[in-house]
Amino acid sequence: MSIEAVDTRARGLRPRRVVEHAGAVASLRRLDWLLLAALVGVVAYGLWAIDGITMRDAGGSSLSRQALYAVAGALLFLGALAVDPDTYRRLWRPIYFGTLGIMLLVLVAGAATRGSKRWIDVGVFTFQPSEFGKVLFVLALAGLLAERRTSIGSLATPLKTIAFALFPILLVFVQPDFGSALVYMAALAAVLFVAGVRWSHLAALTVVAVVVALAVLWFLPAAGVNVLKPYQTQRLTGFTHPDNDPRGATYNVRQSIIAVGAGGLRGRGVTGATQTGLDYLPEHSTDFAFASLAEERGFTGASILLLLYLLIAWRALKIVAGARDLYSAIVAGGIAFMFMFQVFVNSAMAMGAAPITGIPLPFVSVGGSSLITNFLAIGILQAIHMRRVGRRRA
Amino acid sequence: MAETARRSGRFLPGDPRVAEPYRLTPQLALRVAVLGFLALALFAVLFLRLWALQILSGQRYLAQANDNRVRTLRLEAPRGPILDADGRVLVRNVPGTRVELWPSDLPKTWPAQRAELRKLAYVTGVPVKEIVADLAKHGDDPVTPVVVQRGIKRQQIYYLLEHQDAFPGVRLAESFLRQYPYQSLAAQVLGYVGQISPEDYKRLKKKGYEASDSIGQSGIERTYDAYLRGKDGKAQLTVDSRGRPKTTAATTQVPWTPGDALRLTINIKLQRAAERALTYGINLAHSNPLEGGYADGGAIVALDPNDGAVLAMASNPTYKPSVWVGRKDPQKLAPLLNPRVAEKDNHPALNRATQVGYPPGSTFKPVTALAAMQEHLLTPFTQLLCSPTYTAYGQPFNNWTPDIDQWIDLRAALAMSCDTFFYQLGDDFYRLPPNRGHPLQAWANRFGFGETTGLDIGGEIAGVMPTPEWRCKTFGGPPCKGYVDRIWKPGYSIQLAIGQGDLLVTPLQMARFYALVANGGKLVTPHLAADVEQPGAPHQPRRVLRRFGAQPPLSVGVDPTALRYVQLGLEEATHSPIGTSSGVFGNFPVDIAGKTGSAEKFVHVHGLTNPIKLNQSWWCGYGPFDAPKIVVCAVIENGGHGGSAAAPAALQVFEQYFGKQANVVQKASD
Repeated sequence: MSIEAVDTRARGLRPRRVVEHAGAVASLRRLDWLLLAALVGVVAYGLWAIDGITMRDAGGSSLSRQALYAVAGALLFLGALAVDPDTYRRLWRPIYFGTLGIMLLVLVAGAATRGSKRWIDVGVFTFQPSEFGKVLFVLALAGLLAERRTSIGSLATPLKTIAFALFPILLVFVQPDFGSALVYMAALAAVLFVAGVRWSHLAALTVVAVVVALAVLWFLPAAGVNVLKPYQTQRLTGFTHPDNDPRGATYNVRQSIIAVGAGGLRGRGVTGATQTGLDYLPEHSTDFAFASLAEERGFTGASILLLLYLLIAWRALKIVAGARDLYSAIVAGGIAFMFMFQVFVNSAMAMGAAPITGIPLPFVSVGGSSLITNFLAIGILQAIHMRRVGRRRA
Repeated sequence: MAETARRSGRFLPGDPRVAEPYRLTPQLALRVAVLGFLALALFAVLFLRLWALQILSGQRYLAQANDNRVRTLRLEAPRGPILDADGRVLVRNVPGTRVELWPSDLPKTWPAQRAELRKLAYVTGVPVKEIVADLAKHGDDPVTPVVVQRGIKRQQIYYLLEHQDAFPGVRLAESFLRQYPYQSLAAQVLGYVGQISPEDYKRLKKKGYEASDSIGQSGIERTYDAYLRGKDGKAQLTVDSRGRPKTTAATTQVPWTPGDALRLTINIKLQRAAERALTYGINLAHSNPLEGGYADGGAIVALDPNDGAVLAMASNPTYKPSVWVGRKDPQKLAPLLNPRVAEKDNHPALNRATQVGYPPGSTFKPVTALAAMQEHLLTPFTQLLCSPTYTAYGQPFNNWTPDIDQWIDLRAALAMSCDTFFYQLGDDFYRLPPNRGHPLQAWANRFGFGETTGLDIGGEIAGVMPTPEWRCKTFGGPPCKGYVDRIWKPGYSIQLAIGQGDLLVTPLQMARFYALVANGGKLVTPHLAADVEQPGAPHQPRRVLRRFGAQPPLSVGVDPTALRYVQLGLEEATHSPIGTSSGVFGNFPVDIAGKTGSAEKFVHVHGLTNPIKLNQSWWCGYGPFDAPKIVVCAVIENGGHGGSAAAPAALQVFEQYFGKQANVVQKASD
């Protein structure tokens, strides 16, 4: 066994079955410990942060509920380790259509909250398919791209991928969950990028995307066609001039900026954070969790979180580079970029540097679906890492 | 890793049992590097932005966050009390609770807002329409609340406190309400307090008044608002984003300063006596239906003849100023605001002592007498015929009684109020050459007629002092010649001499003139406010902050001898057997001098289409004769002869003032 392993290492080859049958302990030793530490750190930090953020809410602290979700997420994380990512590659079609099916189900039978249908009530808890869909979406698109890896140079491949991606994006968009739709688009861009679509094609697609965005936000409304609801347009463009209409469309971003700024270096503490505690900052446990954290824990506290995120992003990119095959690389790349995108948009939005979109802050925002999905995503990254090419410690 | 893969490829052919080796292509490595740089760039943006907000501008945002949660409230200062000359409280404050609406904290959507306002209307008893109207009037000023109701009851307070969550934007605040222990006493003089009008607000903004302020609307309350209002305090309250207070008590930043007390020259007892005397005079007039059946109002003014201090100022009909306190009942306010109802109730809001001009009738005769002597048309000893009729310009002018036909001097003319005596003087004035001007009117002007007296409460009218120029102007001129109604006819001068015709004077003007007669020819400025004091318990020593000294009386340059004979004439009028009010004052222990007046006026009375000629009953005089301390002027509208209604009413005021009773043995006449 050990000789076999040495041999494999020497040639850079890897007998398939050997890894699959390798002992669980051995596999765990191949975990990215730094990533694991970052995960534990960010989860613990997030729980501590959310305890402070929600402490003065009407329903009391969300800590216990969030901790329960974290336990569920950890179990899913362990489960993800056991699954060879290759399984996802082989099953990408069922994954894709299953995702579509659940999203359709949401539209048909979902529970409506504040005018949007995002949740499915399964008795014990409600879950939000668009959150889980983020990972499944990456797994499915990566499968499609991996299958067509030989023809990655032709424009047809990215176009077909985009065509496949558009269905779930549209389904999320009409819920309406504009924030998630944006995340999906970011993931789509990431998988195309990592899969090796030509630079020229990427450039062309970027131009098309920019034109479409401009059309949706400015040209079409001017022509009388509204793709987005007016409030969505206002939020997307409102951050560029937050002092217009402080009681209306830009109220949230104004309050959020005040909350962040008021935090100062050391933060105002749980009791002193008036923006959060007196409810001036809306949605402070979900969309504006970063602002609330920054208010309560200050520059120090917010920086610690951002550094933890940066650590995760760094490890994720390293996993992309060390992936065993293209499929794993695409999946890891998609997950890594999606993660970065969510972190960036959420915290930049809280600081008035990005449009207001309903994107949760990974591992911090209250919400089971989001937390568990993030655990799953890191789990898949670890699973890829465990099965990476290269030196295996005996 | 890439190295390993490449090397292994050289060593061995492909093994069918093993998977195709995956190589980290340079292309992928580049792209991962791009992603890595992107990640660094994004995080750099986040850190920079975080730094900029929290470290560089942290203080500014901290201030904004604090502004957010802190609401500055105004603590209403209690208004100062109004005291009478002896320090008795005429108007005071009682604490109450007021309901405020903070428009910016109301629900944003109209249906939710309407639902809340409906509930609020139900609880406070204020119609929704009025609340909505008040809100609309308020505009979009976010820092001043709309006052919905003042002085709500305890149950309402408890209900609102218990259901605070259902009433976002509604706040209860401490407030003070005006209270009138003597009810309607001196209502028109005191005036009332109400919400500042937009015009007043615009005018007074610079002096620190706010749009939600209360301000004196008339009378004393208005003139001395600056002293009475006090200084509002400030408190801060922590509120959440829906405006709900987070702590029960607001922290006081600046406590309020109560308004100062204002002491009046009015004496409550005398004021009450004057108001009762008015009612008595009106009832007396009614008891003689042929003469005074239509009596329905009047005024009494009592002045200190030496400095012009108003001792009493009564007006009838009157009202209770408490109708202006708290939420107003439109039905109770209708007599004050609705012209039609006011007409029916004979205008209770009017201060008849200063705001209504009456023809003065015979009370004007001393003016004519003084003017005639000053112009050398008459000496105190000149005898003129007091005939039943004086005929001039082919027109007869009748005396009030046909029973007298004898030669008399000025004293007797004043005593028996002989009209024909004064007709001759009026005619003499008319016949003066044009270069002499109009001396009768000029003297009347110097005695204060035809202009406001300068009383310290507003709303005073000047009355009418008819001159040829006035006549021409009033009837559409110039030009004056060739128009019958614009020409000054001799009859006007003749009528003016006995206080008839177009002449209109206010009771206060007349009282001021009789003060001049009493004090030896000095014109006083009537005033109501004595001083501003620090409010305190009644037995505490007075702490005067500002004294309103009486303006020095102005000598009008009237000849002392002439004045003396007028005084004697007035004394005869109340004491000699031929005096017109001897029956009233003849056996009063204090020597009173005074003149009756029965001025004819065409009056529209209820129930009749055409106006009828009714007598306005006057009496003006002073006492004690040798050292005058009080001047009283009484008018009973449509009360008949002066001696039958006004004189007995005036006597009651003297009785109260001197604390002595008189027996009316015989009815007076004029």
